[in-house]
Amino acid sequence: MTAKPIETDRIWRGVALTAAYGLPLFFILLPLCGFLVYSLFRVEGTELYYDLTLANYRRFFTDEIYIPVLRQTVVLCLEVAGLCIAFGYPVAYFLSGLKGRKKYTLLMLLLVPLLMSYIIKMYAIRSILGGNGFLNRTLIALGIIDQPLTFFVFNLNAVLLTLSVLLLPFAILPIFLSLERIPRNLLEASHDLGGSSRQTFFRVILPLSLPGVISAATFVFVLAIGDFLTPQMVGGQNGFTFGRIIYSQFGTAFNWPFGAALSVILAALVIVAIVIGTWFGGEKAAVRR
Amino acid sequence: MTVLLELKGVSKAFGATRVLEQIDLAVEDGEFITILGPSGSGKTTILRMIGGFTQPTTGSIVLDGRDIAADPINRRPFNTVFQDYALFPHMTVAGNVGYGLKVRGTAGPVIKQRVAEVLDLVQLGSFAARYPAQLSGGQRQRVALARAIICQPRLILLDEPLAALDVELRKQMQEFLKAIHREIKTTFLFVTHDQEEAIAMADRICVMNYGKILQLGSPTEVYYRPRSEFVARFFGDNNLIEGVVTAGGAVETPIGTLACASDDAALSTGAKAFAVIRPEAIRIGAGTGADTVVAGQVSRVSFGGAATVAVVDVSGVSLRVKLPSRAEGVSIEAGDRVELGWRAGDCRLVAA
Amino acid sequence: MKRSPLATLLLALVTGLVFILLYGPIFIPIVTSFFAVKYGSVDWSQMNLNAYAKLTENEGVIEAVENTFIVGLSAVAASLVLGTVIALHCNSSRSRARALLQFVVFLPFLMPPIITGLSLLIFFREVSIDRSMLTIIIGHTVFVLALVYRTILVRLQGIGFSMIEASYDLGASAPQTFFYVLLPNLKSALIGAGVLAFALSFDETMITILVTGTQNTLPLRLWAMMRLGFTPDINALVAIILALTTVLVLVAARYLIPKDFAGAEA
Repeated sequence: MTAKPIETDRIWRGVALTAAYGLPLFFILLPLCGFLVYSLFRVEGTELYYDLTLANYRRFFTDEIYIPVLRQTVVLCLEVAGLCIAFGYPVAYFLSGLKGRKKYTLLMLLLVPLLMSYIIKMYAIRSILGGNGFLNRTLIALGIIDQPLTFFVFNLNAVLLTLSVLLLPFAILPIFLSLERIPRNLLEASHDLGGSSRQTFFRVILPLSLPGVISAATFVFVLAIGDFLTPQMVGGQNGFTFGRIIYSQFGTAFNWPFGAALSVILAALVIVAIVIGTWFGGEKAAVRR
Repeated sequence: MTVLLELKGVSKAFGATRVLEQIDLAVEDGEFITILGPSGSGKTTILRMIGGFTQPTTGSIVLDGRDIAADPINRRPFNTVFQDYALFPHMTVAGNVGYGLKVRGTAGPVIKQRVAEVLDLVQLGSFAARYPAQLSGGQRQRVALARAIICQPRLILLDEPLAALDVELRKQMQEFLKAIHREIKTTFLFVTHDQEEAIAMADRICVMNYGKILQLGSPTEVYYRPRSEFVARFFGDNNLIEGVVTAGGAVETPIGTLACASDDAALSTGAKAFAVIRPEAIRIGAGTGADTVVAGQVSRVSFGGAATVAVVDVSGVSLRVKLPSRAEGVSIEAGDRVELGWRAGDCRLVAA
Repeated sequence: MKRSPLATLLLALVTGLVFILLYGPIFIPIVTSFFAVKYGSVDWSQMNLNAYAKLTENEGVIEAVENTFIVGLSAVAASLVLGTVIALHCNSSRSRARALLQFVVFLPFLMPPIITGLSLLIFFREVSIDRSMLTIIIGHTVFVLALVYRTILVRLQGIGFSMIEASYDLGASAPQTFFYVLLPNLKSALIGAGVLAFALSFDETMITILVTGTQNTLPLRLWAMMRLGFTPDINALVAIILALTTVLVLVAARYLIPKDFAGAEA
């Protein structure tokens, strides 16, 4: 229902409008536009030059390091998404099969880690995975291995595992919501028509929950690819991601325009991911199916 | 009767869609006027324009000699009873009813007293401390009404307020609203799509369709002397027989030349027209006083509670005849050959 | 939904494993916070609250916590006010300007925080705003605004126009309508959104790192300490943070999740 604007006192209207448009325009739109423009500047030595050039973008495409790192990062984040879905779906499915208090409580318990301190979780996971960490010590104590594993110490695997554990709750929630949205009478109809619970799952539940799965994957992917702190903390020298390269442009490498350009490329990637995700994962997709 | 409010040349378009065309309507002070029409006829739009929730595209709304079409909602001396009642769920009944006075800065004790008076009027005196969620549909309706009355507006707008109630409750509320209207003597403008409701309650009925006013008159006028095909058909059950106007104000139809009465001077000889005959005006068997008599065969008889309807086939045209029901059944049955008669005055002529 | 017992068992096992993965890393610091740590290993002999006591002496952490609260409460206040104004505006009718505004509001939440942070960093530099608590507050507000806005918008849409029209019809002005009718009905959405926004701000790290001057919020302080390793009093802090987060989530859930969520009682 589109309603017409109700007549209000004009002063209030003016104040409200200024406030409504003020902050978003000034602190969101303007910086982002400025950011785009900034990526066209360049730095020589320690001097910042304000002329517009595509030099930064050219450098990204021609210099040998950047594209491989980006590719590696994308693959990593896809793996993270995959892992999160693989573990998240069963949990979401289990949760949606519960009823009443149990369901509510369990959902709460799953959401709390979502907001638990990011840094603390990262630290704790790192200490578990470390050479002298909990995991290695347990494995040694159990006699499974003699030497501490370095398989996931300060490299991309560590980043992979850490990110997956960090982002798991973010995958569970969308999948859970899409499972909940499946009308109960569809499941009953399937049983009514003679389907076993396995068939019901594969033919009814799974396809209908697919949009939620894709949403979850997109969500996790976007969160993972933008994370520059986790790789820094657990990646060490062997775990370099695109995000870290960007961050270093604003730190030691001190080339802000170049960093901006790299971020623009990252943003473009994120937009592509979101578009793909919405196209396949949105509610319209469910209807299309 | 003095005119309270007048709509002059009012039209409304939403983009390319024209919702109202050239409406001229004068609402008389103190009357109970009903705007009647099917969905999409524009009746609600008229109500919302008067209330100020939307503005006319052209035309003026005149109150006390001034065009108020641009006045904001909260400056107009009208109050509305909304279709979904629009009660404030976080306030008690007393809070809801007293709201209009509160925003005007009325003193607390005065509000309390007025609220009590109005709640008594709508027979909800003991409900002051309850919340809307605890009330039934009919009770909420009365709270909405009380809320609209308390500010003593010059006009009360009612937007299909009885639509959500069941049949029995609706009839009670119709009588109730009429009683309130007599009591407080405020002008009521009531919008509905239910023709029985309109006939039961209104002093005048304004029949609308496709954004135009088709007929404005008392219930008896609109019911017995429809001036257009739509109005004739709208008040259910009417028999409409197609034909051509002949000299002398009669109409030539497949069942014969019928003598008719008409208010419409524009019907000239040779014009296409309908002969409109109410089912209850037709007598079975040529009794005294029948100006027109036709013969036909009964195709079926349906029992409908207080009335029984017989459908009679006369030369290929189906005529509905309404008879008072009898416990032992009416005296005719399907297959009977009967004669039907009616007075010329009961046969109205209406343009096709 | 009928499921085979085997399937349910497997699902329960996976869920259990996931829970261990999610909570395990956190429990270890918490559990050890109640014991003394000597020479790198835990002394399980006696439980005490020494770590908690020591925490109160750690000035760097105390200051960081203070800053975190200041930033959080400010960002919540700003985003609640702004979110309400914008939601009211965007809900009143449709127009391209409004659709664009909504899109701009959502951007910082959809984009990776690194981009939001960097764009603000560059902006502050070019506009000569010194990085300080203010810039952190701006960064957090911009980040949580999308969530607050959307929560309020959804509730506004649930309220519908009828009540608002009724209020005007009865003679109320716009401010009166807002305070007497809208605000009471928005209350639970505002509280829920506010609590959630606070939780998000409390934990926000990436944007903060980029737009801070010399100020530390709690996550930043922890980040700096991570390189050195955690001391026992930090374990105590972890425990406190967990308790606080749990409370926040529960409070937010109570206000935001509809009452009939879990369906019929088992």
